[in-house]
Amino acid sequence: MNYDLIIIGGGAAGIAALKNAYDPSLNILLVEREKSLGGILKQCIHNGFGVHHYNEELTGPEYAVRGIESVENLDVEILTETTVIDIEKKDSVFNIRMTNTHDGEHTRSSKSIILSSGCYERTRGAIQLPGDRPAGIMPAGSAQRYLNMEGYLVGKKVFILGSGDIGLIMARRMKLEGTDVLGVAEIMPYSNGLTRNIVQCLHDFDIPLYLSHTISDIRGKSRLEGITLSEVDEEFNTIEGTEKDFDVDTLLLSVGLIPDINMFESLSFETSKKTNGAVVDQTYQTSVEGLFACGNALHVHDLADFVTEESEKAGKAAKTFLMENGQKNTSFIDLEASNNIGYVLPQKLDMDQPFDSVELSFRVTTKGDKGVFVIHQGDQEIMSKKARFVVPAEMEKITLKRELIDTTEPISIRFEVTK
Amino acid sequence: MYDYIIIGAGVVGTAIARELMKYDVSALMIEKENDVCNHASLANSAIVHSGHDPKPGTLKAKLNVEGNRLYEELEDTLDIPLLKNGAFVVAQSEAEEKRLKSLYERALENGVKDCSILDREEALKREPNLNSKVTMVLDLPTTKVTYPWEVTLANAENAIENGLEFKKSTEVTQIEKTDDVFTVTTSEGTHYKTRSIINAAGAFTGVIAAMIEEHPKFEITPRRGEYFVIDRHAKGFINHTLYPVPSEKGKGILIVPQVHGETLIGPSSEFQDDPENIDNTKDGLSKVRKGATKLTDKIPFNKVIRTFTGVRASSTHKDFFIQESEEVKNLIHVAGIDSPGLSAAPAIAKYVVNTLIKANTDLRDNPSFNPRRKGIKLFNQMTDEEKKEAFRYDPRHGNLICKCEKVTEADIVHAINRNVPGDTVKGIKKRSRAGAGICQGGYCEHNVIHLIAREKNKPVTKVEYYDEGSYILKSETKVKQ
Repeated sequence: MNYDLIIIGGGAAGIAALKNAYDPSLNILLVEREKSLGGILKQCIHNGFGVHHYNEELTGPEYAVRGIESVENLDVEILTETTVIDIEKKDSVFNIRMTNTHDGEHTRSSKSIILSSGCYERTRGAIQLPGDRPAGIMPAGSAQRYLNMEGYLVGKKVFILGSGDIGLIMARRMKLEGTDVLGVAEIMPYSNGLTRNIVQCLHDFDIPLYLSHTISDIRGKSRLEGITLSEVDEEFNTIEGTEKDFDVDTLLLSVGLIPDINMFESLSFETSKKTNGAVVDQTYQTSVEGLFACGNALHVHDLADFVTEESEKAGKAAKTFLMENGQKNTSFIDLEASNNIGYVLPQKLDMDQPFDSVELSFRVTTKGDKGVFVIHQGDQEIMSKKARFVVPAEMEKITLKRELIDTTEPISIRFEVTK
Repeated sequence: MYDYIIIGAGVVGTAIARELMKYDVSALMIEKENDVCNHASLANSAIVHSGHDPKPGTLKAKLNVEGNRLYEELEDTLDIPLLKNGAFVVAQSEAEEKRLKSLYERALENGVKDCSILDREEALKREPNLNSKVTMVLDLPTTKVTYPWEVTLANAENAIENGLEFKKSTEVTQIEKTDDVFTVTTSEGTHYKTRSIINAAGAFTGVIAAMIEEHPKFEITPRRGEYFVIDRHAKGFINHTLYPVPSEKGKGILIVPQVHGETLIGPSSEFQDDPENIDNTKDGLSKVRKGATKLTDKIPFNKVIRTFTGVRASSTHKDFFIQESEEVKNLIHVAGIDSPGLSAAPAIAKYVVNTLIKANTDLRDNPSFNPRRKGIKLFNQMTDEEKKEAFRYDPRHGNLICKCEKVTEADIVHAINRNVPGDTVKGIKKRSRAGAGICQGGYCEHNVIHLIAREKNKPVTKVEYYDEGSYILKSETKVKQ
């Protein structure tokens, strides 16, 4: 089975990529591991989706259905309940190993791939929380799936570590289900979630948010019995004497999402230590020719709308690559995150591609009420833009015009806080 | 009436049980936990040591060297994995070189094969990421790594296949002896009669001894060890098992490549009173990090997927305490089994049966004993041809449940239905590796819960993570159609 394009993952990213890569002349396959398309949107039954993309407020499933409806009449193959196991590339053809109960483990080939496989949740082990190791400690997204998709409540008294958006959403969701939600702790001095979620999920329900706090101990032999909360200093060390005990049967973790690109056992490509995803150019092409990445499999987004927007571009770029027999070029300009910037995407600009401007997505590493984003190429400042109320939790975007890029030196972006 | 009751289903208890089933005896193994391999055998370094470290003349030295050799046979007979990666003991100063040389002498005296001293250059050539301060290395090519969960399961499954009876979730609460017969009472109120008892209760051997002896000759002093687990995708930064030069306190903090590709970093070593306290501490983990970094600064601590703590059943008796009770005839203690307990386990079993039991009992061979056991053939470990055949036979092999470790629904169903069933989430992980990968069950746990519930015909809210009371789902929020 040979395809022009195989899209891996049918969530918000895969759907948008499919819609925009589509051309009647192309043979496209989308592979989805669950029964239906929609990805994590299916379990996000809260509203707030679609404000940017559809100009109206939708729930996650509603947003998913809009996407699904936009691709369901396309002449493409969609394979659900099928999981990709491994990918290799030989003589410019990708061989994608996948499995399902209909065909068993088998290989399908393609000229190009869009990787839109989403992300997974950081676990207790990865952040090395001290204390006992009972059941009842789980990523917030897992609890969300159990509750919204399957109808099971994971506990009756809950504490949440990490103020990422899933944690905040789950604080409210569990409260509505009659659970005692005793608080949300965030190790940073500011919240890691969207402001609207802090207000709508915590303030409106009188759920306390403990900033500069972390879990310093966990108790319970079989099932969680309690946690100890401690304040941290500027170096994130717990401060003795600030301990507060909470009796809870559940601790939900909202401590980060990591692009899920672990199905690549046999094919390696350049990855970024900052995003844990692929390094891409402005066409979302990775270091491997014909391999594109978008959505949360590339870097973690705040909003599904931004995933859609990015994946539309990736889909279009893959289509252009296929229609014009595109090749991977070699004249790249590096884009670097400098002072107070965590990461910037894309990480490279392919100067052989025709483009008028490129949208840079980036996150700051420090909060600033007022400041300026400055873009440099070599010693030369080529652009700057004023910024208000900038926080690490919210992705920033700047459009950089090609005409401002004069040389082949690396371009860097920094954030200057105005005191 | 049984001939033997074995208390404890860790790697040692199960190895003894299997050894006993080679003879025409009736035996019952009792375990207080809901699965075999739930304490010291579960959480350790997984090393089959060469036998270089124990003091010559001790049981530890003798049984370690012999156990190491026996693992080579058991690899095939019991279908257990062995990583034959060898080990380096790393010296970084003149003082350490001196101790390394005497360790080499000790290894020779213990009968360790093929060991040698390497100079700095040779050591760095063979293990380029070693700390560049290395001055000399003791090369121990017979050191291996195994999978303690699989070893324990293999022993238990094979022993049951050959007639052993097994009661799990059953705690021994009382032992009495009248005439020549023991009555063993358990938490469920049952009284079992037996002629002999083998006390292999690990950290609880002292508790068992105290049930029937007035003056037990050993005392268990539990010693904790904390570990990091590094993701298998980061494998290869170190290939040998690395030890520092040992000190009074033990073998020190190690770097141990695992059979499935993860790397263990640890253990720390602290005495504690509670044999079941397996919490992780900031202090313990930071000691491990510091200690291991002395061996190489290339440890990818950003790739840690899990931390854990194991508790060694150390005793006041420095050597293994393996002997018949002086007070109570036909009660054999197998106690104080700390390192190198896993390495020695097969040799301990032979020592208990061939030396201690046969000294005063005639054992007749069990003519139908089958020494061979086949493990679950996991889909991911099959060749392409085998996969095709397996899928034709069972299409559930097409349903991938754990995408990190590539475990199929059929693999998990097999794990649930073995003769020692995996009927907890952790039990499934021990048998199939579902949940052992980078997302730590984030993706597959809900599916695993549903499969256990389906196969065991129980509500998902009754499926447990590990031990009794470790439920994952509290209640239903919808009335099921």
